Amino acid sequence: MRIRSFDYWEAPSLDKALTELEISGSDAKVIAGGTDLVLNMKKKKILPSRVISLHNLKELDFVRTQDSEVRIGALTRHADIAADPLLKTHLPILCEAVGLIGSWQIRNVGTIGGNICNASPAADSVPPLMVLGAQLIVASKTAEKKISLDSFFSGPGETVLETGQILKEIIIELPKQRSAGCYLKLRRRKAVDISLAGVAFQAETTTDERRLARVAIALGGVAPTPIRVPQAEAILTGLSVDEAMTKISDCARIAAQAASPIDDVRASASYRRTIVDVFLHQSAQKVLRKLKNGGGS
Amino acid sequence: MRVPIHIIVNGEEYHLEVKPNRVLLDVLREDLGLIGTKKGCGLGKCGACTILLDGRPIHSCLLLAAQANRREITTIEGIAAEEPHPLQAAFVEKGAVQCGFCTPGMINAAKALLDANPDPDEAEIKLAIAGNLCRCTGYNQIVSAIQSCTPSTSDRPAAARGESNE
Repeated sequence: MRIRSFDYWEAPSLDKALTELEISGSDAKVIAGGTDLVLNMKKKKILPSRVISLHNLKELDFVRTQDSEVRIGALTRHADIAADPLLKTHLPILCEAVGLIGSWQIRNVGTIGGNICNASPAADSVPPLMVLGAQLIVASKTAEKKISLDSFFSGPGETVLETGQILKEIIIELPKQRSAGCYLKLRRRKAVDISLAGVAFQAETTTDERRLARVAIALGGVAPTPIRVPQAEAILTGLSVDEAMTKISDCARIAAQAASPIDDVRASASYRRTIVDVFLHQSAQKVLRKLKNGGGS
Repeated sequence: MRVPIHIIVNGEEYHLEVKPNRVLLDVLREDLGLIGTKKGCGLGKCGACTILLDGRPIHSCLLLAAQANRREITTIEGIAAEEPHPLQAAFVEKGAVQCGFCTPGMINAAKALLDANPDPDEAEIKLAIAGNLCRCTGYNQIVSAIQSCTPSTSDRPAAARGESNE
């Protein structure tokens, strides 16, 4: 499992990394924690001629609030996100989901930016970030732009990132009204396992807390990329919590239909589709009950 | 191409020139002779190569040696001083070591847990070592060895009751 030779350069700053990336072109690969990249280099799936390391860039390792939004640096490690007091209070769905990634060893090295840019259809951080309406700040040498996470993926392992661009930070607008969320992951073992299917469900109430102002549902591992399912969200949006409870089956059925899972060595497509239906029931019930009983944040 | 790195391993400073395609595990074992860290799957699944990077457990098989630049590393060789660490004594006493291949990684994960949370419950112990596979013991003895090093247990082995050697 020897890794093919490559050139390595440790970036002293994001700015210098962007300059270097522009010069190096498409043969260069950016490394953050490397828990996916090094593995893929060992397996000869990715063979870069040059690796630009962001691993020691402290400037992209942070969680902070600014006005009504949370900003997470792309190099923030899963273990730090899972344990962050601010995120645990306001966005527990994200902390719970990244706490399910790999093992403690992986979570101490792997970063949220790496998990997103690696673009696995089954990335555990993505469905929760999608239902939270996450926006990505992508930097290049000349400009910075904001991209919605919903439109970031173009296929398995593929994103809309262009040569010379680096994911800099993730922005999440804090829910204004009472909200609750739930992420369920199907796995065969309790640790070190890729998700066979993942369902994230998030709901926010109206100002008077009587109706659901916003419902967001995202699925992982059951399509070429993680996906939102607006058709299923629309069924519950605008309803009272009690009305929504009675419509969960319709919502789950439509979400399962929207999935396009594949058969592979880990699970069959029909099993994955069934799990979407089951997990949607479970997550929606949990979230709606929480909102009904005055829970959530 | 070689990359200069400066690392502190078990308290000792090293200035090394490493090829970028080498992982930290191989540099520790082959260049520094620290063969206590084991090479199992090489794919970040088994945890045998677990070391502490700035006090936190990581897979040394998945970290490029160049990525460890300016970091502090603890291997199993750095866990014990004159006497075995209380965790090591507890592993011996509880029969948590059979073939021994997973032990250095297990001890490192357990040490990081106890450093961060001196009194973990059983669930927290199991979560901390979830990334370390053991094919001999069935884990019960390992969990019980770690438990015996926590203050809330009444079942502490002799070595763990004494002064910690840190």
